[in-house]
Amino acid sequence: MSILVNKDTHVIVVGMTGREGANHTKAMREFGTKVVAGVTPGKGGQTHEGLPIYNSVGEAVSNHQVDASIIFVPPAGAADAVLESAHAGVPLVILITEGVPTVDMMKAVQEVKALDHASREEGGKGVRLIGGNCPGLISSGECKIGIMPNSIYAEKGRIGLISRSGTLTYEAGKLLQLAGLGTSTTVGIGGDPVIGTTFADVLPLFEADPDTDAIVVIGEIGGADEEAAAEYIKHNMKKPVVAFISGRSAPAGKRMGHAGAIIMGNVGTPESKLAAFKDANVPVADTMPEIIELVKKVLNK
Amino acid sequence: MKLHEYQGKEILRQFGVNVQDGKVAYTPDEVRTIAREYGQPVVVKAQVHVGGRGKAGGVKFSPTIDKAFENAEKILGMDIKGLTVNKVLVTKAVDIDAGVEYYVGMIVDRNVQSFTLMASAEGGVEIEEVAAATPEKIIHHRVDPVTGLRPYEAREVAIKAGFKGNLNKIADMMVKMSKAALERDAVLVEINPLFIDADGTPLALDTKFEIDDNAMYRHQDLLSWRETEAEHPLEIEAAKYGFAYVKLDNGNVGVLGNGAGIVMTSLDVVNRAGAKPANFLDIGGGAKAEIVYNAVKLVSKDSDVKAIFINIFGGITRADEVAKGVIQALNEGILTKPVRMRIAGTAETEAKALLAEVNSPLIQMYPDMFQAAEAAAADANKADANTAGDKK
Repeated sequence: MSILVNKDTHVIVVGMTGREGANHTKAMREFGTKVVAGVTPGKGGQTHEGLPIYNSVGEAVSNHQVDASIIFVPPAGAADAVLESAHAGVPLVILITEGVPTVDMMKAVQEVKALDHASREEGGKGVRLIGGNCPGLISSGECKIGIMPNSIYAEKGRIGLISRSGTLTYEAGKLLQLAGLGTSTTVGIGGDPVIGTTFADVLPLFEADPDTDAIVVIGEIGGADEEAAAEYIKHNMKKPVVAFISGRSAPAGKRMGHAGAIIMGNVGTPESKLAAFKDANVPVADTMPEIIELVKKVLNK
Repeated sequence: MKLHEYQGKEILRQFGVNVQDGKVAYTPDEVRTIAREYGQPVVVKAQVHVGGRGKAGGVKFSPTIDKAFENAEKILGMDIKGLTVNKVLVTKAVDIDAGVEYYVGMIVDRNVQSFTLMASAEGGVEIEEVAAATPEKIIHHRVDPVTGLRPYEAREVAIKAGFKGNLNKIADMMVKMSKAALERDAVLVEINPLFIDADGTPLALDTKFEIDDNAMYRHQDLLSWRETEAEHPLEIEAAKYGFAYVKLDNGNVGVLGNGAGIVMTSLDVVNRAGAKPANFLDIGGGAKAEIVYNAVKLVSKDSDVKAIFINIFGGITRADEVAKGVIQALNEGILTKPVRMRIAGTAETEAKALLAEVNSPLIQMYPDMFQAAEAAAADANKADANTAGDKK
């Protein structure tokens, strides 16, 4: 078992013929992901690495079973690509692109939520957007829809991982692997100010997953997503959660790369996040290796 | 991109917001000419990209033309939080006592995944102070990014905030501000103070306006407003190469990694190792050797940097590309400071082979980020101690 994706998930790659799209299609297939087709407007009818390319997501959906799409489209067209997948009825849309204008994301996220709601009202599967500016998601040993290094996630484990940072996702995944714990599913939610899926959206999925025993949440300074996650955990989670917060020594007011990683006033400070997790009884690791110690501790309880 | 007050006002004016008249001047003589033209008391306001200009003495009421000239002499050339004032905005003065001052603003709010409109009857002071002391005095309202702010919503917000004046005019002004924020890809727009005169008409006395850097490609007309002199010279150079670089104060270890998260954690790790990060440098995702070479070159140029800590966990980024960039810097003699690195992930084996082949004492690899950070911290602190010794 796993959340969101598994070995039977059929995936299309939007922007497959571009440099990143091509490289990562290859890596995803090496991992074992069932990539069924690519989409590049204007290149419909061609093939890439033996896979058919379509002009639109709609065409791909009419010719294949499509459970998810991964988007490698440059920033100016990225939000449009999200909406194309969502309107074509793809239930899971993963946006990798970094640097998408925030206003575009606001509009896209809102529209995807409306589509999700409408689809569920009609008894459909709904639509979920993960990202942008995220590494995607990966169910160890089963399916990768993203850009993570394959080797860390070959073996299935029992720890769920959710992270705002791409590289720290790999870091934590590797540490869990070395500790012999391993990951069940890893979801990189992305570091942008407006994203499709938040910590609090993923937590209930792990809570319901019989193959996840504990969850690691990797947050960072800025925004209040960690505080919202802590609130959700406090009231709804029975499984143990361990947290880590990146950027605790960063000076206030400076923007550290991620648009979200900035402290505005008292919102999003490391102190407010630590306090929220403490209130929810979630232990917070001071260093990444300490995450492992804390996970072991909560598992032994 | 941060805009100056006069630039933010120009945008708001284009969207139909009633903005106080003003002109930019670079010399006291120009200020005198403008004051004479307005023929009434003026306010001379420093135009620099920092908050707290008023407190620093950068905003001065000038009852006469001579006083405007004198104030301009004082303000031009002044240093406000490390930035030199080289231009001022001269505005017609408003009789504050004949009206009321409010606050309205819009900010990108990840918690509601859109803009939040904020309004408060506590205008004319720093809104952060109001937020800290009396948060209940600020009304928050989520703005739909597709429809924008509707007049009825604006009226509701104005009523809740306790605004007195012509409600329709105030709401209309807020709708126009919201349109400016959405169409100009603002990250933040503030009108503070928003002055409501005796007739109940709103007038924007001061503004803050910041535009989403990711959206600058559709605001080419504003590119000429970008002022690089307000940024750190190395930050300007970094922007040319396309990576995120932030200069940090009082540091001695250059910190470089792939991704904002890992670099932030690297800063934490350097601090724990007993040294201070001199910068934050994110080479981004999928960086090629050339980017890494430029990043190393840039960090090496910083005289505060005594050792460099490179922390790479390759996903979309290939570790061997990172190694190639570092080696190129070494071969060209650019790398003169010790590089202590942790390298893992995609193409890790290839990277390690390349670095082992070079076998330079300047570049050393460590199995984890802590050991690499500790080595860099030790090198940097030792170099600093030696320099301190030399000075004695």
